[in-house]
Formats: sequence, structure tokens, C-alpha cells
Amino acid sequence: MNSRYVVGIDLGTTNCALAVRDASAPGDSAPIEVLQIAQLVNPGEVAPRPLLPSFLYVPGEMDFPAGSTALPWNPRPPYVVGELARKRGAENATRLVASAKSWLSYGGAQRTAPILPWGAPENVPHISPVDASAEYLRHLAAGFDCARASGRPDLTLAQQDVLLTVPASFDEEARELTVRAAQSAGLERVTLLEEPQAAFYAWLDAQGDRWRRRIRVGDLILVCDIGGGTTDFTLIAVSERDGDLALERVAVGDHILLGGDNMDLALARLLQQRLEANGQRLDTWQLLTLWHQCRIAKEALLSDPSVREQPVTLLGKGSRLIGGTITVPLLREDVNQVLLDGFFPAVRSDEVPARPRRVGLQELGLPYAADPGVTRHLARFLSRQASASATTASVRRGRGGLACPTHLLFNGGVMKAEVLQQRIVSVLNGWLVEEGFDPVVVLDAPDLDHAVARGAAYYGMARRGRGIRIRSGASRSYYLGIESAMPAVPGIPAPLKALCIVPFGMEEGTTATIPDREFGLVVGEPAEFRFLSSTVRKTDPPGALIEDWGDELEELGPLEVTLQMPGHEDATVPVTLEGHVTEVGTLEVWCMTRDRSHRWKLELNIREREI
Amino acid sequence: MTPFFTRLTFAFRTFCAILFRDRIPDDVAAALVAVRPSAQQAQTSPPPAVNTEATATQILAVLQRDGRLIDFLMEDITPYADAQIGVAVRNVHAGCRQTLQRYLTLAPVLHGEEGAHVTIEAGRDPATVKLIGNVAGQPPFSGVLRHRGWLVSRIELPALPRTGQFVVAPAEVEVA
Repeated sequence: MNSRYVVGIDLGTTNCALAVRDASAPGDSAPIEVLQIAQLVNPGEVAPRPLLPSFLYVPGEMDFPAGSTALPWNPRPPYVVGELARKRGAENATRLVASAKSWLSYGGAQRTAPILPWGAPENVPHISPVDASAEYLRHLAAGFDCARASGRPDLTLAQQDVLLTVPASFDEEARELTVRAAQSAGLERVTLLEEPQAAFYAWLDAQGDRWRRRIRVGDLILVCDIGGGTTDFTLIAVSERDGDLALERVAVGDHILLGGDNMDLALARLLQQRLEANGQRLDTWQLLTLWHQCRIAKEALLSDPSVREQPVTLLGKGSRLIGGTITVPLLREDVNQVLLDGFFPAVRSDEVPARPRRVGLQELGLPYAADPGVTRHLARFLSRQASASATTASVRRGRGGLACPTHLLFNGGVMKAEVLQQRIVSVLNGWLVEEGFDPVVVLDAPDLDHAVARGAAYYGMARRGRGIRIRSGASRSYYLGIESAMPAVPGIPAPLKALCIVPFGMEEGTTATIPDREFGLVVGEPAEFRFLSSTVRKTDPPGALIEDWGDELEELGPLEVTLQMPGHEDATVPVTLEGHVTEVGTLEVWCMTRDRSHRWKLELNIREREI
Repeated sequence: MTPFFTRLTFAFRTFCAILFRDRIPDDVAAALVAVRPSAQQAQTSPPPAVNTEATATQILAVLQRDGRLIDFLMEDITPYADAQIGVAVRNVHAGCRQTLQRYLTLAPVLHGEEGAHVTIEAGRDPATVKLIGNVAGQPPFSGVLRHRGWLVSRIELPALPRTGQFVVAPAEVEVA
């Protein structure tokens, strides 16, 4: 049975948002509403806010006065989540969990193990990235239930259709872990949706029926989504099916850990250097204030092109307020130099981002993008879309092979700044002219803070047949690693071949069987498969065996299965493989006996990987 | 717009009066009674005892927390140049203003433009309108609006803390 509400949740790296639509309203009369989220904003003060900052604070004995972290639904919550967590965490980072989502997508970490706050001493209770994400969802659910359920169990968020967004660049493991977090928060009816697609759905919702006049068959829409922590690119092609316009997501970018936080930090560092050159030393607290004030000054400069400079003031610490005050101006040239030239440089379309330096000893932590040039990442993304999938609509390409979008949709908090939008547009247009095309048309994006949540709610209605859907399917091709049968050479691992089990774009709710290939599995023992994926290779059909893939494939955690078959001890059972993309949007790989009488699911083994 | 310091003075009269005289200024109190429909009920059922000292401290605490107001008022500013003070005051002003708007709603007593002619009818509570200049005879009085006055039409402070009710700002100790 359909739930009364359709709820879109944007589980962001730095902010979460929730949008809801009452599906029981007659026709499609109910608008999509953004739900205000009650949260602690100061000790003892709960207030509604349009966003829930994705920060979790692990309170210690001396952090908050007794009873001052009570929430309307929980008098003694174990963690503080939201605005107060962010505020308090700025004063004491040791107990702050931030960017849990980035950790969720980082294969180098044990994502179900309690590893956060990262680098905190052992006496601080730790939490896993999955559990931290679950805490945010739990908070959103409690807030929703207070506002909308009015005590009826069937109206709680757990029972509603929830569309949960993930970056398009999330691989299968990160998607699986996001679903686990949702399940652990008690959400029972969750479907995943990619954020750039959600942003596009929000545009469709805002356009109403007019969208059919804004885009035509053959158009290619680039969604450029730059949030607080991540940069995400997606291409959506417009084709025709049965005489009507059809939308298809044809490409997604790699996961790039680069966003607005990096930009604010870069500006703060610049001002810090300037102050220190004047002989002023800043303590930790002042650095944090500097970061915060920089963000405000940056926004003032970006929103008004006539302002030449904006003072950044650090009030004196201690009770000497005036005497200890430090001022330093943030100049327009600084913003131009650091943001435009540093993060959005005017580059040619054949430039590639700098590769991370391989240093013998690397500091462990999140794999932030080595190259801050968003435009270079964009160039790489567009130039890598050389091959369209067999099943996808055609991608418009220029003389040099670059994928050439006709339209551009911005999303993410960073893109609120018009100067930055203009820079991306001008760089992109430069490439388009070189490839022999007209400039892009920029689609007007409504409400960048909530577009993803709104779009997710729209998608929920579209899944019920009330709205257009973007054909998408698997965002990557997936492969099993197969070691070649070759004479062993000491010190050199046997070369690996990759067997395609799920092709790019394979639709939700469908299954692909791998023909002509059997594996002998021993009953009662765990069998492990190496598991790889690619965002670039899109034409490999299921069953294709590839070698020499260069850097086009990346390895995920292994897939594991233990066959239990009563009456078969110590036997080897021949099985074939099946790839299945679920309705939720995750991937399943199944082993099947030859007579199809038994099936086993291969589980992603996420826990076992070592840092 | 009224100069900043004038606004500052008027805006803070309310809580200063609470803190130092343990009462809300008569004009504001009278105005509050006038705008609050629940005030009449209050006569039949006495309101729950409110810890006014703690509430006054709380107002100071939020202004200190968000705008460093107490640090500013308690500091000797005589040795500093106007420019230095001005820079800091901008921040104090921004923080305090935001806080005031969040927890209180301030509205003028009279809604006319300053400098415009107004008539004060008979029966007007002298707490809400102060007549200055040559005041003689009987109402109605006609005159020029010099200051529109302020009154608080909404106070929504968070629940009082259970402990530390007289702490305006906690001491801060940085642990290395």
C-alpha cells in the first residue's frame, strides 16, 4: 500500500534536508514542502531550522549543563546532532564527528567500525560512519514524527516512502552502507536516488509542464553539483520514446572530495598568513573564528560585485574585547585569486587534474582531491565520456571527442555565488566553441539548499506514476576479478581479468545472467570474489571478459559467499552468476546451481578491509 | 534611521531595568499589558512564579554569548581610538541585533514618522507616551513625534537552565 507521505531526504556531507509531499491530497494539489527540523541550537534551546547540519558531537561530562541537551522526543540523547554539535565541535574538535558521509564512501576505512571522531583519543567513545549517518536519519525521523505523525504509527517516517539521496559517484559499497544506515534508523521503505538527478527533478517540479518546451530531443544536460564537501557531475540526455521526451542519466563522475569547506579554509589560510606576517599569532579559537568570518566576508563579496573589500574582524579573546580586536581586510583580489583561479581556473578541455602524490608515509584520513581545480575535474569528466553505453541514448560530442552539454544545471551551496557560476559557464563555453558548438543554456535552479530533498520527493511521486522519471539504472559497470590460470611467477601476482556482471545503466528491478561461465564452489567454506567497478567503461555486456584496463577500473571490497547445501559435504558445486539491480537501487550478485534449484547471495564484505 | 547608539540605549533599557531595578520599565510594562490579551486572565489566576532575576541574567547571557555585549560594556574603552572601537562595535552590534530579533520582537509605541504631527487623545497612559516641551491644558494634545518609543511585543526565551542561572558567561579554560 502506498504511504500517505512521500519524503525526500538529502543526507548531505555538511547539511541534511527533508522535503515532504502529502500524496493523499486530491490530484497533485499538495506542494512539496520543506520540513523545518527541530534541533538543539544552544544548550537548553531547541529551535526549528530548515537544515540539519550533519555534525555529531559526543558529549563528555563537562560539555553541557545537566539536562540541557534534552530533545522533545528524548530527554537524554546519547549524542548531540545538528547546529549545537557544529558550534560546540568548533570549540572542541576532538569530540566532533564531521563528514561522516565522506567516510562512508572511502574504501580505505573500516566503515562499519567505530573510527569516528577520526584521530580522537581512546577515552572518547567512537562511532562508525554508518552509525553516525543513522543518527542523522534517526533525528530527522523523530523530527518528522513530531511534526507530521500526530501519534499515529502508520504516519511515522519509518512507514513512509523515503527517497534517500546519495552522490551519483557513490559506488556500490557506499550505497549499500547508506541503506544499512537507513535500516538501522528504522526506515523500512527506502529507495536511493542520485543527488544530481534529484536536483534535476527539483527543476522539473519547479517548471511544471513548461519543461517540455525548454529542452528538446538530442539535448544533453550537465548537472554540476558542488556542495560543502563534494563535487559531483552528471550528464542527462534527452531522447524520444513513443513520441514523447525521455530523460536518461548517461554519465556520472568519480567521487571528488572537494567543496565549499575547502574554499573557506583556503581563504582563512591566506588571511592567517597575512596576519602572521604582521607578527600576530592566532590561537585555535581565533583560527576557527577566522574561518567563520571568512565565510561571511566571502559571501558578502560574492553577492555584491561593487564591494572592493570586506573587513574580517576577530574580537579580542578574554574579556579584553576592544583591546584585543584584530582586523584584516578580505579583498576582492583575494577572492578572485583563491577561488576563481585556485578552484575554478580557466583551463583547456584537455587538461587533467594533478594526480595525488605517492608519498611513502601518508597521513591517514579522507582522500581529499589532490587538485583543487574544479574545472580541471570537469574537463576530465567530459573528455572521458568517450563511449556511450549500448543501451543509452547518444551523447553529443564535439570534434575533439569531448562530451558537449547543451544545458547546465547548478546545484549545491557553493553554486549560490553567481561569480563562480559565471566562471564555470565561461570556461565550458570556451570548450564548446572549440568543439564547434553554441554556448550552454543555464537552467534556473530554484532554492539550492533544498533542491535535492525537493527533487527526491518529486521522484517519489514519479515512481507512483505522477511525474516523469529519468531512466538511470546502475551508475557504474561492475566486474568480478578472475585470476588467470598461468604458471606462477614468484613475487608477481597472477594477472587479473575482469568479468562484467552488471553493465552500466542496467535498470532497477532487472537481472542479468552471465552466460557460459561456471565457477566451482566448495560447500561449507567461504568463497571470495574480487569486485571491481568502472564509471568509464560503458559498453561491456554482461559476461565480457576484459584485461589491460589501465586506470578505468577500481577495486571495491571483496564479495563473499558461503554455500550451505544439505547432503553435499566436501563437494564442489558448479554455479553460474547473476547480477541484479534492486528497486532500492543497490546491487545484488547471486550464485545459482546449474539446475537452478539453489541460489545464494554474494555479500559485500565491507568489514574485513584494513586501513 | 536612528543613530546606532540611540537605538542601543533604547533597546537595552528593558533588560537593564530588569537587572538593576528588578522590574520592567513602567512604560514598557504598561504597553505590554495593552498588547497582551492574556493579561486580563492573569488577574483571576495568578501566573506561575517566574524567577525574574534568573530571566534577567539569561537575557544578558544570550547577548554576551552571541554579541559579547557584557565584555564590551564592562571594558574601559577610553584608551582606544574611535576606529578601533568602531571595528569591534560592528561585530557586537551584528551579534546583539540578531539575538534581539530572535528572542524578542520590538515595535514602536507610536507608528507615525518621526517629525510628523500627532494627536494624543485623552485617556492615554502616560507610561506609553511622554509629553515634552510646553505641556499645558487638557488633552487632546497636538505635537511633533520626536521618538516613536519601543515596546516588546514578544519575548521567547529558551527554558531557563537548571544550573548556573546567574552565570552570564562561563569561564573558559583551554585544555592543551
